[in-house]
Amino acid sequence: MVADPGAARAARSARLNEPRPALVEEGFDGAPCRVNRQPVAVVREEWRVLDRWWTEEPVSRRYFEVVLDSGENVVVFRDQQRGGWFSQRGA
Amino acid sequence: MVACILIPGFELQAALRDRPRLGLSPAALAPLPGKEPLLGPVNATAETAGVRPGMRLGEALAVCPPLVLVERDPAGVEEQWEQIVRRLEDSGFAVEPVEPGCLYFDTRGVERLYGGVSPALKRALSAVGSSWTTSAGAADRRFAALAAAAIARPGQAVVVDDDRTKEFLAPLPLTLLPLEPRRREELDRLGVKKIGQLAGLPGSAVAERLGPDGRRAWSLARNEDNAGSEDNARVTARPAVVELTERLDFPEAIANELTLRRALTALLDRILDRPERGGREIRKVALSARLVGGGSWRRTVTLREPSAERGTLRAALGPKLAELPAPVLTLGIELLVLVESQGRQLALVRPEGNAFVPLEGDELQTRLRDGLRQVRAAAGAGAVASVVEVAPWSRIPEQRALLVPRD
Repeated sequence: MVADPGAARAARSARLNEPRPALVEEGFDGAPCRVNRQPVAVVREEWRVLDRWWTEEPVSRRYFEVVLDSGENVVVFRDQQRGGWFSQRGA
Repeated sequence: MVACILIPGFELQAALRDRPRLGLSPAALAPLPGKEPLLGPVNATAETAGVRPGMRLGEALAVCPPLVLVERDPAGVEEQWEQIVRRLEDSGFAVEPVEPGCLYFDTRGVERLYGGVSPALKRALSAVGSSWTTSAGAADRRFAALAAAAIARPGQAVVVDDDRTKEFLAPLPLTLLPLEPRRREELDRLGVKKIGQLAGLPGSAVAERLGPDGRRAWSLARNEDNAGSEDNARVTARPAVVELTERLDFPEAIANELTLRRALTALLDRILDRPERGGREIRKVALSARLVGGGSWRRTVTLREPSAERGTLRAALGPKLAELPAPVLTLGIELLVLVESQGRQLALVRPEGNAFVPLEGDELQTRLRDGLRQVRAAAGAGAVASVVEVAPWSRIPEQRALLVPRD
């Protein structure tokens, strides 16, 4: 039996812009007020992503684009399907 | 002569460097975890408030309620101590570190270089740096040098003449001697409060009453060597941290700069051809010399970019030869820090007027290939990847593209 070289290559591939767990404190309205221990200066934008609802792994996320006190621009989302906060580039 | 450099309460000073605001508050090094709650070194503000090193924590807090306890940082202490020792070695002092905050060196090797004992001590104090509370002392033996450094004011040096050491030691307090507190209290009860008083007692009586430690303290008080303990008059320099070294002995002392430059070229040829270098480039190099009359000289050079090119090293080291204070009997070169060859960072753009224009054609391809090869060599296989779009329309960011390794 010959191993499929394509399979080996696919196994080493990685997704670009994978979400990373983030430490977020949220306010009364569910919007983040601190991200990774840094205060949020302003919430620039908010949007929702509901997708793949027809599969066994539906996606339901509430995204926020925020500017931190340090001036850093960060996109975070709350995974409403599984819980927990994540930061993500490329969103 | 033996010289001593003393930084009292080094651990506390090292810990307070990150917290300069605490310098004005009463502060002490916290007791060791799991040990008796006894304070470590204390700063001057705490001392003014009545807090003493070795005091019980409860007593210290009762005496000075605003006392701040500073946590110990052994790794930071080691690191900062090593930096000080290296700075002294770079200035030509062959030092013997005893513990963080205390080291000895023999002044014979540097007296000629700096023009005497006092200038050498001043040079050593400036090598330690003004940000540390440091004092220096020199005498014919280690203990007297330590005592001289202990009574010197911060930033100052005390030099004790060889024939006046006993007179110098006599009025000093017993706290300078390495004695257990209970032994010191015992002597205090007997009315022995000064080093001179202890030195005047018969040795056999001291040994009988205070044991071997007392006998050793008695020998130190009399400025004598003591059998079975470290040699009070000798300093053993720690071996230099050297990766590779070469030296050239001259049949007679050389002062001619041209000859010295030729010798440097020969040394560079020899050391760069050594197989132990293994293609590594040089980051830090030292040039040393044994001078006629017994002195020594040493200069270190850190290259802005690591290099193994003879021309670059010659250009960096050559001008140092002009600083030699006396004719040379031996010239040596030491490669102190070697680094793996990093390659060169080649630009992918070239300046044109006020703007930068991307390179094109074969030159761009060559430089890109070279850069990718370096990244792969540094970070391993799989470090270079292509971005392949698989679902650019997806609303889920991580499903739009894959990183596919390129080998």
